[in-house]
Amino acid sequence: MGGLQKKKYESGSATNYISRNKARKKLSLSLADFRRLCILKGIYPHEPKHKKKVNKGSTAQRTFYLLKDIRFLMHEPIVGKFREYKIFVRKLRKAYGKAEWGTAEKLRGNKPGYKLDHIIKERYPTFIDALRDVDDALSMCFLFSTFPRTGKCHVQTIELCRRLSVEWMNYIITLRSLRKVFLSIKGIYYQAEVLGQIITWLVPYQFAHDHPTDVDYRVMATFTELYTTLLGFINFRLYQTLNLVYPPKVTHSQPAVMLHFDLLSDYLTSALLPFLPPRFAEPRWPPVPRPGGLQEDGEKLAERLKARQDQDRQEKLFEGLKFFLNREVPRESLAFVLRCFGAQVSWDKSLCIGSTYDVTDETITHHVVDRPSLEKQYINRYYVQPQWVYDCVNARMLLPVEDYFVGVTLPPHLSPFVEEKEGDYVPPEKLKLLALQKGERPEQEEEEEEEDNDDSEEEEDEDQSDDEDELKGMEEKQALGKASSVKVTPGEAKPVNRQRAEQEAKAEEKRLAVMMMKKRDKYLYDKIMFGKKRSVREANKMSAKRKALDEASKANKKKKLKK
Amino acid sequence: ARNMAAARRHKRVAASQPGFLRLKPDLDHSASRIGHKKRVNKNKKKNWNKYSDIQDVEEFLEDVRLQERATGGLLSDKSDDGLFFVDVGEQKVRPDPGAVEKKGKGLKPLRIDLILQPDSQVPPPKDILAYQQPNARKLRLMAQKAEKLAAMGVLPRRERLLQRRRIPGSEKPVANNDPARAFYDLWRPDQGCDVFSDPPPRWQRPEKLNVKPSLLPAVEVAAPGASYNPDFTSHQALLLEAHETEVAKLKAEEKLARQLAVRKEDLATEESVFREQVEGLIEEEEEKLEAEEDDEGTAVGPTAQTEKKTEKQRKREKADRVKLQKKAERKAIDSRQQLFQLRTISAELRRREQQTSVRRTRRKDQQEREKVQPRRLGKLRFQAPDLDVQLSDELSGSLRTLKPEGSILKDRFKSLQKRNLIEPRERAKFKRKFKVKYVEKREFREIQ
Repeated sequence: MGGLQKKKYESGSATNYISRNKARKKLSLSLADFRRLCILKGIYPHEPKHKKKVNKGSTAQRTFYLLKDIRFLMHEPIVGKFREYKIFVRKLRKAYGKAEWGTAEKLRGNKPGYKLDHIIKERYPTFIDALRDVDDALSMCFLFSTFPRTGKCHVQTIELCRRLSVEWMNYIITLRSLRKVFLSIKGIYYQAEVLGQIITWLVPYQFAHDHPTDVDYRVMATFTELYTTLLGFINFRLYQTLNLVYPPKVTHSQPAVMLHFDLLSDYLTSALLPFLPPRFAEPRWPPVPRPGGLQEDGEKLAERLKARQDQDRQEKLFEGLKFFLNREVPRESLAFVLRCFGAQVSWDKSLCIGSTYDVTDETITHHVVDRPSLEKQYINRYYVQPQWVYDCVNARMLLPVEDYFVGVTLPPHLSPFVEEKEGDYVPPEKLKLLALQKGERPEQEEEEEEEDNDDSEEEEDEDQSDDEDELKGMEEKQALGKASSVKVTPGEAKPVNRQRAEQEAKAEEKRLAVMMMKKRDKYLYDKIMFGKKRSVREANKMSAKRKALDEASKANKKKKLKK
Repeated sequence: ARNMAAARRHKRVAASQPGFLRLKPDLDHSASRIGHKKRVNKNKKKNWNKYSDIQDVEEFLEDVRLQERATGGLLSDKSDDGLFFVDVGEQKVRPDPGAVEKKGKGLKPLRIDLILQPDSQVPPPKDILAYQQPNARKLRLMAQKAEKLAAMGVLPRRERLLQRRRIPGSEKPVANNDPARAFYDLWRPDQGCDVFSDPPPRWQRPEKLNVKPSLLPAVEVAAPGASYNPDFTSHQALLLEAHETEVAKLKAEEKLARQLAVRKEDLATEESVFREQVEGLIEEEEEKLEAEEDDEGTAVGPTAQTEKKTEKQRKREKADRVKLQKKAERKAIDSRQQLFQLRTISAELRRREQQTSVRRTRRKDQQEREKVQPRRLGKLRFQAPDLDVQLSDELSGSLRTLKPEGSILKDRFKSLQKRNLIEPRERAKFKRKFKVKYVEKREFREIQ
């Protein structure tokens, strides 16, 4: 109509976004190069709130990027390098096509390359920012280091990933900061604490795996490129904080031996440790005295001291113990975990380099075996299954070895990443574990008594019912959120615990308030509490199910015995 | 010529020996000649060569040369073993174990080659000229001086000039994924990166890019039921989850099948078929249709009569004015009465505020939820990965017999998609494009 009227799609969100193809043409890159650039620079597509506006009236599904981001991309020096590489490829192909081998060789020698250092600096301006993103980098590096060295992915990348993952493991061993381990069917999850950050990463098993076809390998390779650079710089900085030499040097007796980095791992973790300076304690901040009630302060101080003591005790979990790993156990994972807690580890000489003592060493305290049966030659050592190590790490104490002997049905491997809230179902195995941690004696297993003769079946029944009651009682208490039963001796004058009295008074007030509510409000309140107690009800259901299963298994065993 | 002269001398000397018989008899037996040798002056240089007999020396030397040629040295210098052997008797020819067995036919060396081989044991003389270098000493001294300078670290002038010509950016860059590449402290305050240390504010990274696209953690730990040796309840819970997803999938399929199924009402029955066939053929219905059409014929449109309506217009305008006035009065009264309606007004306001706050909280919750969800970034939606779970009979109690489930590569890839770092894409399919063939129709072909 008029000339001064505002036209549609000329301002606002329609001009803030740009579609992927337009962005690509603006940068004059191919699609693969554009994707690579976006991944390296950390520029992600956005979903606009009003797609129809941004798409200028059409509802076709398009990928949109912010225009400011693309404009920022245009100042990136790597874009020039991508274009140079494209030209290089074109020239090389021409030389090969014309059979000009000399030109081809010369071109090959001057292949253009680029560095990602400035991108890392720009994306992570401080070291702590980089440390926050290291989870992903670690998982990717560990994953790529397990790839087979066919030509599908650059062998150099695989070797670099291997080197970086080994350096990281070495650092964690030195710092003794591994906290949790979880063996899942996918892989092994580790959690460690580094400079106040909690870092979780996933390591695949060392078995051969077939690669899925619907994964874009180019994208993964680009991510790996970025993450290897990031991890390398982080490793350097971490080693610097411990005043260690980076890259860690290996001294070995065999001269002029070409070591691949997969062999280097064991050298690093075995040969390097004696050369390291004594373990540096992480600088821990002293407790800051806070203004306020003395009681609060004292309690918090006590808590913190206790936490520190616990941590120190945990770090020396396997100190002084000597382990020997049999051939069939996952050697690298176990060596890493054991060394993180101060143990000495070795394995058979023919397996891998770096074994320090042989199986015939008399001072070995534990021998980790995974076979169904083993001819035990030495009396003064325990033959355990590998789950014992992991469960000890998660329980933060040395568990009784009897449950993990060779050929024994293992107790379930519980996940340390699960934190049960009040009222949630706690499986009986975990209850037992908590009890162990508190120092109580473990309950007598029913299976032990079943080995007696049939005369004591009645006793068995009684004991079973007793145990059942105990279990039920414990579960109920857990469900209601109270602490385990406190023994009360008659006639003793107990000193009044001020805190407890306060809590009781508050509970009393709450009950009174609930009684005095109006009918309408009470109705709402009931509804809310019903919802909250849902988890408790589910926990009860779960415990009933478990009981049913236990009873069924007991009945089966009885039938077998009778037969 | 020397040989000829020596031969002639030899003949002469031999002829002058007593008792020498000539071929042609000497006619005048000059007895005076027999017994008389011609007296020669040996002090003249001319006669030294003519009348001296060196045959014995020559013979001796020839013998020596022959020995050297034939056997490579004097026979007197040789040991007994080299010259003689003890004949013990006939020996059977034992085949040499190291010798090669019979080769083919034509592998004997040619006669001409054997003839052309050197048959003398005397080694050929060394060509001194080939080993002579006129300035060997000079070159040796120069090399020693250069070595001394190199040991001190001084480069020769040529290398210095070449290095001065080197361009700093043209050196071969270390590849990014070189396993032996070096790292340095990137975050030191005074360390600048080589390429892009401090960009101008116009080119700095926008703040929005530092915000992560999703609040999900990078590595999500698997559920406790996914442990390799899980406890009963958590494993059951995980199986239940997997079961529910499968049931939901089945339900969706069934729903689709139900929606696409043919309804019983749509199936053709004999009645409906008959009715369709007979449609329009019965006469009664035709008359009814005709009657209906006649009634719809008259349609009257409004006629424009401007002049008559001015009075009406005036009246209407006045009525409108009165209405407006009344409205204004009503408005004034209302605004005065609002003073007395304060309570209800405030109640109304409170209700509205509460509604807006409820809506605000709901919107905020929705926003928070969206921050954790995978966004729709392209043509395809995010497909959640299948739960990794091992059925009860697949569970192995031991780490050795564990068969890993699911691939970590796929898990990482899906996690990247879930966190909105990459958009979900599918593999490009191979579309076969056929060339368009242009063929003339028969009619056109015939026309010439």
